[in-house]
Amino acid sequence: MAQKNLLQGINDGLRQAMEKDPKVLVLGEDVGLNGGVFRVTEGLQKAFGAERVVDTPLAELGIVGASVGLSLAGMRPVCEIQFDGFLPAVMDQVICHMGRMRNRSQGRNSLPMVLRAPHGGLIHAPEHHSESPEAYFTHTPGIKVVIPSTPEDAKGLIIAAINDPDPVVYFEPKRLYRTVKGEVPDAYYETPIGKARIARAGTDLTLISWGAMVHTCLKAAEELETDGVSVEILDLRTLTPLDWDAISASVEKTGRALIAHEAPNTGSWAAEISALIHERLHYKLKGPVQRVGAWDIRQPLFQLEKYYIPDAHRVVRGVKKALNRQPV
Amino acid sequence: MPLTTVHEAKTQRLEILDPEGRVDAALEPKAPKEKLLELYKKMTEIRVFDERALKLQRQGRLGTYPQIIGQEATQIVPACCLEPKDWLVPTYRGQGAYFARGMQLRYSLLYWGGDDRGVKFPAENNDLIFAIPVGSHMTQAAGLAWAEKLKKTNAVALCWLGDGASSKGDFHEALTFAGVHKLPLIMLIENNQWAISLPRAQQCAAETLAQKAWGYGAHGIQVDGNDPLAVYRAVSEAVARGRKGEGPSVVECLTYRMGHHTTADDASRYRTAAEVDGWKAKDPLARYTKYLKAKGLLDDAAIAATLKDAEAMVADEVKAYEAFPKPSPLDMFANNYDKAPWMLVEQRAELAEVLKEKASRNEIAEVPPAEGRFP
Ligand SMILES: Cc1ncc(C[n+]2csc(CCOP(=O)(O)OP(=O)(O)O)c2C)c(N)n1
Ligand SMILES: [Mg+2]
Repeated sequence: MAQKNLLQGINDGLRQAMEKDPKVLVLGEDVGLNGGVFRVTEGLQKAFGAERVVDTPLAELGIVGASVGLSLAGMRPVCEIQFDGFLPAVMDQVICHMGRMRNRSQGRNSLPMVLRAPHGGLIHAPEHHSESPEAYFTHTPGIKVVIPSTPEDAKGLIIAAINDPDPVVYFEPKRLYRTVKGEVPDAYYETPIGKARIARAGTDLTLISWGAMVHTCLKAAEELETDGVSVEILDLRTLTPLDWDAISASVEKTGRALIAHEAPNTGSWAAEISALIHERLHYKLKGPVQRVGAWDIRQPLFQLEKYYIPDAHRVVRGVKKALNRQPV
Repeated sequence: MPLTTVHEAKTQRLEILDPEGRVDAALEPKAPKEKLLELYKKMTEIRVFDERALKLQRQGRLGTYPQIIGQEATQIVPACCLEPKDWLVPTYRGQGAYFARGMQLRYSLLYWGGDDRGVKFPAENNDLIFAIPVGSHMTQAAGLAWAEKLKKTNAVALCWLGDGASSKGDFHEALTFAGVHKLPLIMLIENNQWAISLPRAQQCAAETLAQKAWGYGAHGIQVDGNDPLAVYRAVSEAVARGRKGEGPSVVECLTYRMGHHTTADDASRYRTAAEVDGWKAKDPLARYTKYLKAKGLLDDAAIAATLKDAEAMVADEVKAYEAFPKPSPLDMFANNYDKAPWMLVEQRAELAEVLKEKASRNEIAEVPPAEGRFP
């Protein structure tokens, strides 16, 4: 085992998957010679050649459409969209084809492809480089959506995504790329898709989160602890299909829940989770589920970004509201 | 039945000034002296600005910045071929085009400094804010040209795009519309040979990007984009075609991105210094200076004075940029709708309360790549 950052975890996973299966190929803008603009695919072209680590023309819809075709014909493409903000252009393929091929072909065709994209903000980047568009994908039937928050899961989830018979969208919390470090096993392993992780155990409230926001929640939890509040943090890891068992087990125990995320609340994945908890655990709840998300406005340029994406203080506030306490 | 030829097209390249500044008199545009000197002044100013902006970024006084060094001719000259009523539709690498149309450089600094107030066009202009998602502006430019045609204003739309953007489906759709409706649209391809790390040859297998025009019933020409006179002539002709109702044009300008893709990029990872040096010899400003000198329009004293004035102007713009009061966090709730709906009213009030309690504790992670910030 070695200490690695999240980016190295992904790189490790991609490398081992490519070693295992010659059908795995990586494609996207600047992923080859340049190793990706964040260097996630660093060294892969050197190791596996330009036929398997492909620098594509600048055409996102082409990248995803071609990946649909590649996977339909037996390859295992891992395509990259360079930034979350450029995902809207690929939704035609995602919604109309990626999520439907298995069903439309009456089960004959599956699309074992992975669509990777960086996720989230707070990295001082230009416009459209800091978005959290997961809800557009979680809303789409037929695809799975995952997002790690630790280097270990980053590796295990990319391997699981590549091996999954269905199309998987793999979000990479970009502000964690180099800021989060942890033990990463050297072996080839999967982090199971559909399984959440308890990032911190607690008793008073379940804090549900994913991606970089898990780390904001961990900070909030420390603050809350000094105030005598014990929160349990659930790192979802997979957004679809949700690990309902993990959510219900924790919320039944604590009786309260708050969902913290980086996207605007309206129509968000947090809204879906809140609805599920209310529908299914209504009588176990001691109070209404709360959400802490970004505001329902266009994401501002980076000077104001830190006021747009929730910080630990806003999570603490949300928890106190959920506990019917005055905000600090 | 024998095979018959149903279509043949030839794509020409226009070069007027050679790298030594020698002019092909037969092709030399008949621009007035004032115009020629205006182009020189603005190209000098934007070069000085670009170098200054790079330094500001390196000193942490600016966010990610996309340099335009080497592309002064394709930035400044086309904008100067337009009238204010014409639509200016630049890319994110478009500070030069906006500047040529009269926007103060402080606003470009503000934008790349992460401040949403970094956009302020002269009121009489039809200028469009650029799009960061590459190429998403191209079909909009077709729509702008279409509206002007419907309104019979005789105005055109000039849309900049990169060699990379010419691969986007939007390029095809924009020209398809423009061809079918004979729109006064000019697609100016700044082929600077690179789309981040992807060289032109890997972007498209066609020999030229200009030749794509013929597939849409548009006119296509390739131009030496480091030759201000060639750019001037080709764009002026395309504008004239648009005004006469003769439909869209593609002007492919061969130029070179002398800098990194942006300050976040390290071009040495994917291209050689020798390649960059080769293009130095074709510098548009040096070449144009020689031409103007030979023509008797410039002397060393005037060159020095232009440079000095440019430096003073840029220094003033930097000062003005840094003197801007910081944006208020509550400002982000403005201009999202005509009237703010209830949830925004509530959320704004919530943020106001939060701000009273504590300053944001979000930390900005200056993630990767080691050499800078972002593409
Ligand atoms: C849709 C989209 N994909 C990817 C990017 C990231 N990106 C920014 S500029 C660029 C290359 C653009 O190349 P080109 O069109 O040649 O313009 P240049 O940057 O050379 O001026 C890329 C890939 C983006 N901004 N938008
Ligand atoms: Mg380019």
